[in-house]
Amino acid sequence: MTESTGKTQIAVTVEGISKKFGAASVLEDINFEVSEGETIVLLGASGSGKTTILRIIAGLEAPDSGRVILHAKDVTKIPARGRGVGVIFQSYALFPKMSVEQNIGYGLRLRKKAKAEINEVTDGLIELTGLQEHRKKYPSQLSGGQQQRVAIARALAYNPEVLLFDEPFGALDAQIRTRLRREIRALLKEIKVPSIFITHDQEEALELGDRIAVLNEGRLEQIGTPYDVYTKPATEYVATFLGAANLMLGIINDGKFEAEDVFLKIEGDVPVRDRQSVKLVFRPEDVFLRKPENLTQNYQPLTDGFIEEVNFVGAFERVVVRLNISTRQPIIVTRPKTETTAFPLTIGQKVKVGLVRFRILPNYTLASERASRVV
Amino acid sequence: MSANLSGIRHTRGFDVIKPLSIMTLIIVMMPLVLLPLASIFIFGTSNGLRSFWNALTAPEAIFALQLSMVTSFWATAFNVVFGLFAAYVLSKYNFWGRNALIVTISLPTAIPTAVAGFALLLLWGPYGILGKYLEPYGIHLMFTAAAIILANIFVTFPLAFGVIKPVFDTMNQSLEEASATMGATRWQTFWHVTLPSLRGAILSGALLTFARSVGEFGSTILVSGNLAGRTQTAPLYIFAKFNEGQVEAANAIAIVLALFSFLIFSVLFFARDWLEAE
Amino acid sequence: MTNKIKFGLTFVLAISLFMMSCLPSAPGGRGGGKAARTITVYGFSVMKESLEKEIYPAFAAKWKAEHGEDVSFQSSFAGSETVTNQILQGAPADIGIFSIERDVDRLIVAGHVPNDWYVTPQKGIVNKTPFVILVRKGNPKGITDFADLGKEGVKVIHPDPVSSGGAQWSILSIYGSELKKSEAETGKRDEARALNTLKTIWRNVIATPGSAREARTQFELGQGDALITYELDALLMKDANAAVDVVIPKSTIFSEHPVAIVDRNVTAEERPVVEAFRNFLWSEEAQKAFVKNHFRSATNEIFNTTNAQFGKIEMPFTVEYFGGWSKAYPEIIEKIFRDQVQNK
Repeated sequence: MTESTGKTQIAVTVEGISKKFGAASVLEDINFEVSEGETIVLLGASGSGKTTILRIIAGLEAPDSGRVILHAKDVTKIPARGRGVGVIFQSYALFPKMSVEQNIGYGLRLRKKAKAEINEVTDGLIELTGLQEHRKKYPSQLSGGQQQRVAIARALAYNPEVLLFDEPFGALDAQIRTRLRREIRALLKEIKVPSIFITHDQEEALELGDRIAVLNEGRLEQIGTPYDVYTKPATEYVATFLGAANLMLGIINDGKFEAEDVFLKIEGDVPVRDRQSVKLVFRPEDVFLRKPENLTQNYQPLTDGFIEEVNFVGAFERVVVRLNISTRQPIIVTRPKTETTAFPLTIGQKVKVGLVRFRILPNYTLASERASRVV
Repeated sequence: MSANLSGIRHTRGFDVIKPLSIMTLIIVMMPLVLLPLASIFIFGTSNGLRSFWNALTAPEAIFALQLSMVTSFWATAFNVVFGLFAAYVLSKYNFWGRNALIVTISLPTAIPTAVAGFALLLLWGPYGILGKYLEPYGIHLMFTAAAIILANIFVTFPLAFGVIKPVFDTMNQSLEEASATMGATRWQTFWHVTLPSLRGAILSGALLTFARSVGEFGSTILVSGNLAGRTQTAPLYIFAKFNEGQVEAANAIAIVLALFSFLIFSVLFFARDWLEAE
Repeated sequence: MTNKIKFGLTFVLAISLFMMSCLPSAPGGRGGGKAARTITVYGFSVMKESLEKEIYPAFAAKWKAEHGEDVSFQSSFAGSETVTNQILQGAPADIGIFSIERDVDRLIVAGHVPNDWYVTPQKGIVNKTPFVILVRKGNPKGITDFADLGKEGVKVIHPDPVSSGGAQWSILSIYGSELKKSEAETGKRDEARALNTLKTIWRNVIATPGSAREARTQFELGQGDALITYELDALLMKDANAAVDVVIPKSTIFSEHPVAIVDRNVTAEERPVVEAFRNFLWSEEAQKAFVKNHFRSATNEIFNTTNAQFGKIEMPFTVEYFGGWSKAYPEIIEKIFRDQVQNK
């Protein structure tokens, strides 16, 4: 447990971690860093390897290759108990025969700290997590949210190098989940301990993380701020996992995206060559629909189409539009209330489809394929 | 475990099934269990309280009861500690032959106690397969209190293990992992986290083993040599008294054993509730 | 767990450990160890009273007076076959007293007892008792002899010959008495008649407990109308004011009880006192003690005839009548009883 001297601001480094279970490769060459005070979310579906990374960082499992470095110390060969990590398990794993106080003080008791110190730290944490009323209670007497707070307090008691959260909100009701998310985020900001969350819930990831790392079948597809990962997905998987996305195949021709009679000017720096096969990625909320004659110049026209479905989903409207191209591809469009009142749609109506924002991605779906091609 | 009894009401008004079921329960238990138990009490005191007291205070009777307590205590102590250890190893580690070992541990219950006693004699007796090598050194394992403890260990071997292992199996592995990440060594985790969760099972296992041990007869009569006032446990004493025709005295001691078992199982019942309550 | 409870439990545990570390001391204040001399006696159940109450103290006093040493006794009593099994497996017996010579034979075969164990004036027999029939007071079923036990409606308790020496004696007494009677009548032993009597009696057997003692207890508790048992058992029951009567058959066998030193367990140092004790069993005092406890003396007939309780038996016989146990067991117990009566 080394103090950050200011020389390095990196708290956790995961370098080249790979792991196989039997013949199946669970993790392949995972690399990322967590800065001091930062919260990173590892986002992925089940089987993506996110739990395994967490367990490897915690020291509960050993990688086949690679290193884990905590505060500039290589802990790869050190077992869990020597790493000083704080883990909040999915089931919280509170010790059932110990009270809240005793749970929180456990780490310090193991380190043979003086009774006075243990009491002081425990009191502080109980106040921090708002558990004063419950301090003498036993885990079975606590609600899910309260148990979670005890789990966090318990992990903080011994000044952990990093906090590791294993799908901590999975066991809670939807309403409590959102409330607790905000509370935890506020707490983490206050205590400034670097944290790593794992989750499959993209909304959770977007809200909790300073940065998000998207995992797909053992590979790290992209890591970046929520804004970057959402608006500039690096791969099709990221694009479709975080938020909804429409995809269209095409090629680059003379610096423009071309697909049948769709022509789009590409702005900004996009790492593609001429004649390269690409995919167009655009989000439902970035699509504008207008009557053919009303398309303005604020957005790039895509093509024409007609309304196939209109669904009212509370805060917005979800529309399925069939495009007038040979593939007859349907796309999903979401329209806010301002749009629906200004320009109501009916089924069968012909519309012009325009894009406010879009991304161009090379045409392969996996980051791994990218690695294997010579670009 | 205080069950949450169902409060479903099946009928409007008077429910005849409830008293009927309870009555059936008692009627079936009467001839099978309750009356035989009662008759021990009746017969043991049939010669009057004076005779009952004499039977209880006979020096050989007191010796037999004490010997039963001591030998059962040590057999229990060993089997609980070992049962704990075996349950830990067998539920934590996977290895070739693991299941065979689990089944083997449970075997002693299937073996008639007399066979068990005989087997021990054939092994450790003065002319036994292994015993004969100990003889020249004056080490007598059989026909001593040690033999009684050995026989009890064998016969009650699976009891504590059988109560403790299921608790291990259903224990949340995350608890141990949490303890490890918080800095505990394997021993510290065992002591602070695993063991407290096993309190109830350890107590049940111990009391079960002890009660069974105190009543053990078939193997004891063979391996102890049945020397009155030396290696004669309470059940053996009862049998001897019976053989001599002193049936009342036999019953008197039987009453003591019955009361003692009743006490043990009551403690088991209430303490378990208390232990699990937390 | 709160500290108070933890402390309490630790305390209880400590006390228990302390108490349980000590084995109880043997009654009689002799502590757990051996006295200057200890003789270990394994005997069949009925021997207990006479040995413990009178013979042990008498011998101990005598030995003390003659040699100045203390002698103490350790005993184990059970059915004769069980005792034999225990000794075979190594039970530390110095002397064994059995209800049947066959058990001694088994010990000879296994090497525990030498072949010449019986070379004593009394042929190794320490006491004897004839087999009689025990019936309910007033003899409601009108039993006068063994054959009557085969009558319709008579319920007999008979221990299991597999485990009980007494049961084997009983079979021989039934069988032999018929042979004796037919011999007296016609000069020849009528085996068919004897077998028939056995069969009819066995048909009436309602229970076969494991030992003579258990049979006696069952009878005491009201089971059955008749019990063939040692005269000694019958007299003990009468002592206890049981509502029973004794029927003395015209002809019956005498069960003779052998005593044998288990040579294998006796060291040269112990031999003198062990032999002295064995020989003491044939002393007047010991024999008187046996008679007092309803055994018939093996040495002195006068003790027997002057005892009012012992009935007169017209045609007594012993196992010699069949040529000894070596013939009687295979021919009568196995070939005749087991094969033709029990397993039919």
